[in-house]
Amino acid sequence: MADVDELPSLLWGLDTVFSAYPKLYIIDILEMGESRQVPGVYFYKTHPVSQVDVLGTVVCKREREDFYCYGVDDSTGVINCLCWKDEKWRDQGEPATCRNSSVASGGFNIEDELKRLKETQRKSSVLEIGDLLRVRGAVKTSRGQREIKASCFYKVDDPLMAVQISRMVEMPQLYRKWYDKPFQVPGDELCAKEATGSTNFQILVSRSVLTLQEFLSEKGVARFRPYDVEFLLHPLVQNAVSDQVTEQDKDLHTGIKNIIREDTKREKYAEKGCHILHLLSSIRQRYSQNISREALQVALTFLECNSDIISTTEAHYTIL
Amino acid sequence: MLPHPAVFHFPWEIHLIKDGASVRTSGRLTSYKPQESKAILSTQQSSIWYQLTVQTTLVEPFQPILGAQYLVLGEIEKAEGVSGVVLCARALNCVDGVDLALMQQAILEQRYFFKERKPELNILEPLSPSNV
Repeated sequence: MADVDELPSLLWGLDTVFSAYPKLYIIDILEMGESRQVPGVYFYKTHPVSQVDVLGTVVCKREREDFYCYGVDDSTGVINCLCWKDEKWRDQGEPATCRNSSVASGGFNIEDELKRLKETQRKSSVLEIGDLLRVRGAVKTSRGQREIKASCFYKVDDPLMAVQISRMVEMPQLYRKWYDKPFQVPGDELCAKEATGSTNFQILVSRSVLTLQEFLSEKGVARFRPYDVEFLLHPLVQNAVSDQVTEQDKDLHTGIKNIIREDTKREKYAEKGCHILHLLSSIRQRYSQNISREALQVALTFLECNSDIISTTEAHYTIL
Repeated sequence: MLPHPAVFHFPWEIHLIKDGASVRTSGRLTSYKPQESKAILSTQQSSIWYQLTVQTTLVEPFQPILGAQYLVLGEIEKAEGVSGVVLCARALNCVDGVDLALMQQAILEQRYFFKERKPELNILEPLSPSNV
């Protein structure tokens, strides 16, 4: 079943299982729920999956004009695999059989060898019931039936069952180590550590996506303008982005320092330093009309932390 | 319509499995009667010999190698009045030389994993959406 808290599709790329061909049991492929965001993507537990790697015995076979449909059994489930016929093998007439011509001509005949090589290649792409098939491909649902559209497939020669046995041993380990472990958005871990820089941006994006999704599903909104939902993101943006921007605004810092430096020379401010409201009006005149008192406060705190300025009272600042 | 998945079972478990279930198992080919399309796979487990009759109609013709290890996949048939179990083979592969101890270990490991996922799972029941 698809998880109720399906991972936003924007973050799927961060999950390594999504970019790999996970080796899932066929029963899990059959039971994965389809994503509500993107059709053709499924969820094994918390992991988005669109392509898989399967190894199993062919238990039924149907031939179509363009492809073979093999029923593959891995002992947990049976799934149809659509394996396209290679253009190369078409219109070739009779496949080369193992004739004795090379022996007859008494030597190495490159044409015959090439034919034999092609025949071997062809044989590995046409399977019979009982053969072992390895398939990599995309998971699809067609007429209510789950199937695998092969992007790569071949017959596995496994007379000693070595491939099958190693696969059986490998899969539980893969499940325990990767597939059954919940996917953690890297941003969430970093968030707790108050990461800065680009990771901060990722966190903001993932939070914004979640906030918007919650809002849209809660209100049942189908269409909206960016303007309509902007207010939802204000708290996020104000808390994080503006702080970050203000802290890194070098021009603003220089501007503030210049004002304080110049004005503290004036008698009026010499003793106590400049009041924040004075700084606000000066900075608005010189720097930008749009600057808020909160932003100025952030910048002043930053400068004070850097020992560029110092506060003499709660609201007065002087230069160091 | 796809067949049911064939679950691995050891030869000494076969008689416990219900009629019609799909299984895969292995054993040494000790006899083959082409006229009757019947083969016998034998396995020794802690000094007991287990014999499994295999109906080979669907996998013929095949080249029988007496004494070789075979892997068979098919359905259990428990005909009334006939003693023992017949496995109607859908696939029969010679796997002579297979490391039987390793194969057993792999089968047990897979079982253990599924049991861990779903503790109430009965290993003698076929896997189906309802019990995995």
